[in-house]
Amino acid sequence: MAVILDLVVQGLQMLLVLALAPLLTGFVRKVKARLLLRQGPPLIQPYRDLARLMRKEVVLAENASWLFRVSPYFIFAATWVAASLVPTFRTGLLFSWSADFIVIIALLGSARFFLALAGLDVGTSFGGIGSSREMMIASLAEPAMIMIVFTVALVAGSTQLSTMATFLVSSEVGLRVSLGLALFALIMVAIAENARIPVDNPATHLELTMVHEAMVLEYSGRHLALIELSASMKLLLYVSLIACLFVPWGLVSSGGAVALLAIGVVAYIAKLAAGGFLLALFETSIAKMRVFRVPEFLGAALMLGLLATLLLFVSRSL
Amino acid sequence: MPELREVVIVSAVRTPMISASMMSQRDFAASRGSVSIVFSLAGFLYFGLGIVSGPLADRWGSRSLALIGMILTGLGLALAFRAHGMALAAALALTAGLLHVFNHSIFKSLLFFGAGAVLASTGERDMERLGGLIHRMPQTAFVFLVGCAAISALPPLNGFVSEWLTFQAILLSPQIPSWGLKLLVPAVGALLALSAALAAACFVKAFGVTFLGRARTPAAEHAGETDRFSLAAMFFLAALCLVAGILPGFFIDALAPVVQSLVGARMPVQSGVDWLSIVPIAESRSSYNGLLVFLFMLLSGALAAWAIHRLASDKVRRAPPWDCGYPDASPATQYTASSFAQPIRRVFGTVVFRAREQVDMPPPGALQPARLTVEMRDLVWDALYAPIAGGVGFAADRLNHLQFLTIRQFLSLVFAALVLLLLVLAIWP
Repeated sequence: MAVILDLVVQGLQMLLVLALAPLLTGFVRKVKARLLLRQGPPLIQPYRDLARLMRKEVVLAENASWLFRVSPYFIFAATWVAASLVPTFRTGLLFSWSADFIVIIALLGSARFFLALAGLDVGTSFGGIGSSREMMIASLAEPAMIMIVFTVALVAGSTQLSTMATFLVSSEVGLRVSLGLALFALIMVAIAENARIPVDNPATHLELTMVHEAMVLEYSGRHLALIELSASMKLLLYVSLIACLFVPWGLVSSGGAVALLAIGVVAYIAKLAAGGFLLALFETSIAKMRVFRVPEFLGAALMLGLLATLLLFVSRSL
Repeated sequence: MPELREVVIVSAVRTPMISASMMSQRDFAASRGSVSIVFSLAGFLYFGLGIVSGPLADRWGSRSLALIGMILTGLGLALAFRAHGMALAAALALTAGLLHVFNHSIFKSLLFFGAGAVLASTGERDMERLGGLIHRMPQTAFVFLVGCAAISALPPLNGFVSEWLTFQAILLSPQIPSWGLKLLVPAVGALLALSAALAAACFVKAFGVTFLGRARTPAAEHAGETDRFSLAAMFFLAALCLVAGILPGFFIDALAPVVQSLVGARMPVQSGVDWLSIVPIAESRSSYNGLLVFLFMLLSGALAAWAIHRLASDKVRRAPPWDCGYPDASPATQYTASSFAQPIRRVFGTVVFRAREQVDMPPPGALQPARLTVEMRDLVWDALYAPIAGGVGFAADRLNHLQFLTIRQFLSLVFAALVLLLLVLAIWP
């Protein structure tokens, strides 16, 4: 009986991240529009876009290979699995032990690897520019992310996200300098990884500075729908990650009753909304930076993460 | 940069020597912390080398270094843990290093076979003159892609497992009382992550420029698939990459006797863990299950493909590429290896490689072409290997005239040498 409940909760989580991801993207767009005194598209516009894209035929470049057609499914699968393993409303999910924090980061790395290859597949100059810059950004964002993992893992004594969240919600953590540094670093990495302003502009489609949009330029129809859905899920994943590590209140522990789960889901949606609002606020208040300023931005994140890890290596109580 | 290949060869020769000298060091207690720091630094140095050559070098062979750095880090950490009496942690670090040696031997062989197949089929060694081979050599492309993903430490393949184990070992190192190591190890961790990310960039470039895009030369355009036996060998290695990635517990257990004999402890038995997960340290409750991750990915990808094709649309139309409305028919407009590496060269290369770019733009109306020249220097080569090579060359030049002596001079030389050796023998205590 307990196993069935666990399975149901795990399934619920998979469906929840899939269903909420476009909503979060739509919410951020709406808030950004309202902050600029525009009406903005309705909240459900991303769902409509996805449904429309799915129904349309795929227009494939003449020399696109099988890799170009397989990549969207692979990217979607890797991102979905990663997003399903982050504790959103409940810790200790049935399969949470199959992958820890490092694996989740690496799964996103796999998705990016194939996205960058897909950008090179058709052999156009825009695809190449996108892939090349994406790998440049990743070469700094990934080490920064690993440093953040180290910091939180050294505080919590495990790289398992469920264990981390359970530990961080307990009273023995307190305020720590290292966790503060890690939070800042994580926010910076999240902005870069999700191609948000000031690193990249998610609303652009013809700009010499675009990175993510340049890679996916040749995609259309259902392939594009999957890529967009994966991008939304990645944004949701990072917001969930920040929420579960740094705002872990409201997370239901594994033994919780069914009624508690509802509270957990409500708390999670409230956290997503707060995260989305803050992201929109940040994006409207800052200008996009030049591509070669990005390494400085991410280098700062890397240094913050390294500093936090060093502090913990020196003293476990910092 | 022709020197890079030589760097690879030199370091490839030196690495087993260092490992061998480390392993033969029976008396660990005498070595204590200092030796282990030195070895961690050796790992560190190799990282430096790996990063420098990783995404920048344009030759097939020059990619081993980041991975050798990773192996050495595992071994260095094992020594440090062993010197401070942390046998279990030493076993974990050593297992990570050895598993990486094993993994490295699989995917590196696969990549060399793939490179050989491309060379045999096109006669081209320079990837700037290839492109689009995925259409001509689809099976080689597939296995080469597996090798690229494995070497870039992407789950669920095998390279990731050893990287994950190394990270777990690094996370145990704050317990080491030595202050030098406390400050060194986080930096090594950051460099490990950096070299993994740069390896991914390097292999996106290698695969993307060689196999994807459009053919840049007729040789690439008329390439054919390689023979069945080569393919079988490559498919076998690719399958091994996957198996070692999703069932790492069996390989860790197979390494246990070696680890036991070297550090006096072994990792807990992995093949008995539920669901074939790997749990390196019981207390930290960190676990990884490559099999489940692989199955989940397979299931969700297949589910998405089935649902979309069944419920939405499965129509495909071929059309010219879009490229924001300005597609160019010439394959020369594609990104090349050097243009792909340009952002990374600009971020890292200006410091570690003293990379300088010079743009020579003729004024409007002038007929000469615009030129971009990149100048790079390999500082490690300049500081470490060039003096040795220069010294050997200098001595060889000086001694050259010994070859043109007369028979009398040769005989007196032999006599002098004999007297000198006898004198040494007599004076020697």
